[in-house]
Amino acid sequence: MSDIRILLADDHTVMRSGLRLLLERQAGFKVVAEASDGRETVDLMESAKPDVVVLDVAMPNLNGIDAARQITQHHPAVAVVILSMHSDEGYVLRALKAGARGYLLKDAPESDLVNAVRAVHEGKAWFSPAISRMLVDDYIRQLRQHGVEDSYELLTTREREILQLLAEGKSNKDVANILKLSLYTVETHRGNMLQKLNLHGTAELILYAVRKGVIS
Amino acid sequence: MPKVTITRQSRPILLAGFGGLLVLMAFAGFDAARAIRQTQTRNEQIQADFLARNRQLNEIRSDVYLAGTLVRDFLLEPEPAKAEGYRKELNGLHREMDAEMGAYAHLLVTTEKAPFSSLQQRLADFWTSLDPVFGWSGEERRQRGYAFARDEVLPRRAAMLGLADQIAATNERQLRAGSDRVAELFAQVRTRLAVTLVLTLGLGCLLALFSTRRILALEGEAGSQFREVTEARGELKELSARLVEAQENERRSIARELHDEVGQSLSAVLVGLSNLSAEIAEPARSGLQPRIESVRKLAEGSVAAVRNIALLLRPSMLDDLGLVPALQWQARETSRRTGLLVNVATEHVSDQLSDEYKTCVYRVVQEAVHNASQHAAACQIRVTVHQEAERLLVSVQDDGRGFEPKIERGLGLLGMEERITRLGGSLRIDSEPGKGTLLLVDLPLIDMQKPNGHA
Repeated sequence: MSDIRILLADDHTVMRSGLRLLLERQAGFKVVAEASDGRETVDLMESAKPDVVVLDVAMPNLNGIDAARQITQHHPAVAVVILSMHSDEGYVLRALKAGARGYLLKDAPESDLVNAVRAVHEGKAWFSPAISRMLVDDYIRQLRQHGVEDSYELLTTREREILQLLAEGKSNKDVANILKLSLYTVETHRGNMLQKLNLHGTAELILYAVRKGVIS
Repeated sequence: MPKVTITRQSRPILLAGFGGLLVLMAFAGFDAARAIRQTQTRNEQIQADFLARNRQLNEIRSDVYLAGTLVRDFLLEPEPAKAEGYRKELNGLHREMDAEMGAYAHLLVTTEKAPFSSLQQRLADFWTSLDPVFGWSGEERRQRGYAFARDEVLPRRAAMLGLADQIAATNERQLRAGSDRVAELFAQVRTRLAVTLVLTLGLGCLLALFSTRRILALEGEAGSQFREVTEARGELKELSARLVEAQENERRSIARELHDEVGQSLSAVLVGLSNLSAEIAEPARSGLQPRIESVRKLAEGSVAAVRNIALLLRPSMLDDLGLVPALQWQARETSRRTGLLVNVATEHVSDQLSDEYKTCVYRVVQEAVHNASQHAAACQIRVTVHQEAERLLVSVQDDGRGFEPKIERGLGLLGMEERITRLGGSLRIDSEPGKGTLLLVDLPLIDMQKPNGHA
């Protein structure tokens, strides 16, 4: 198996070199390029050909979120991990909407970064444990306060299967292949699910899956 | 201030002016009335004098006629008895006329003195000339009577009547002179009245001029003071708004600084620490591990603390994600901290709301939620934000204790009102003890052209 090619973007030099050290200690990880802002990152995509891009959110010129959007738009195969100081759901949702698959808090980056890079490279979604915990806690609190029955119970077994695969980062087409269904059927299931759960788009579906503990 | 001194001075001036004017007018009226009454009395006196003298003179004149007639009758009477009767009558008339002349002498005026004493002389002569005649016998009277009457009585009578006419003429002249005098007096009164009228008018005009100037000056002063007060109030409002804005900007920049600089550096420390520990060879590493771990914990705690402080100062979501995510974060945070159920429902809220509106709504909701959770002991809070074409409606409802909005009005509410009024909006609070609180904000959206003006 070839090395995972990583592009590392952070405007903080000390941080960047620290992260580089951290990643390169791992076997099979290779930092192919470093960038100090979003614009540079986008420009380096062609020459560096990374598998995974680790993006800091707060960067000059072009921030991490907007850079992630551009990268996933032009290079759908590339997985993006967002490094952020913000733990709020709003930021996580925005990162997911921009196409990022991993969301990592800068509180404790050293322990989780390796796991995150590995997970997103395998096509899975990955969130800092603190975030997963928070999302789930909030959801449980909300459920308790509202006394509403668990919306997950509304989903059929087929829909739950599709939810998990989609949340792990699979495309509709992948899901259709795995479950041996037509693309049209998968799309219909997905639409029904969004309607039942009152969600809008894949990003919210992923967050929902995290809250429900379908993925971690 | 000199203006104030001038204002205080105008009271005595006005008092003196108006008082003087009134006194002058009263004096003029009184004086005119007195002069007219005087003139009138004088006029009446003159008339009365004239009439009295005239009457007396007429009596004297008719008595002169009568005396002439009686003398003639006496002279022509053949019967001695009848002649004696005429003589007695004449004597009575003599006495009567003496009395009349005496009375007239009292009424006499200077100019009449000469003709009157002539008349007196003539009358005395007349009576004296009669003395021998009374001694005449009937024969003598028949022989000499006619000649006597023609030569003595008639000329004397004519002379006396002429003198009486002279006195009457003098009398009339006297009357005319009196009338002239009265007219003169009237003219004097008129002149005096005219003078006082002109004086009063002049003084009145001066007073009016002074009062008008004073009133205009006062009006101007009051106007300028009002403008000053209005300006000062506007400046104060502007200042407080700028203070709020400055505070918000300060908070934003400190929060950003903490978050982006301090937080980042601490994260870098964590990464460095981790790298360092990985590079330490095994036997030594196990010994150092607890110490490394404690430093790591410290740094992690600091990152969390920095983030919390930054969020408390000003949540970055407000600038990064918009109003709705910030409100939702606030609701979650409050739920997490207090266990309260905070529900946020939003409708059509634009991502392009300008910073002023975002900050205003966020801070107002923050204050209301804080009040509900800290003071009202509420269990549930419901926040709604609803955007229409030209306004933004915000409501915060809780099921807490409630309060009397007319009586209790803390600094928090004042601050909310300040923020809302600044954007031309209105704040309504429906609450009564035991009934929970509903806070309603209506903000007109006038400036949607420049979104995120300060971001």
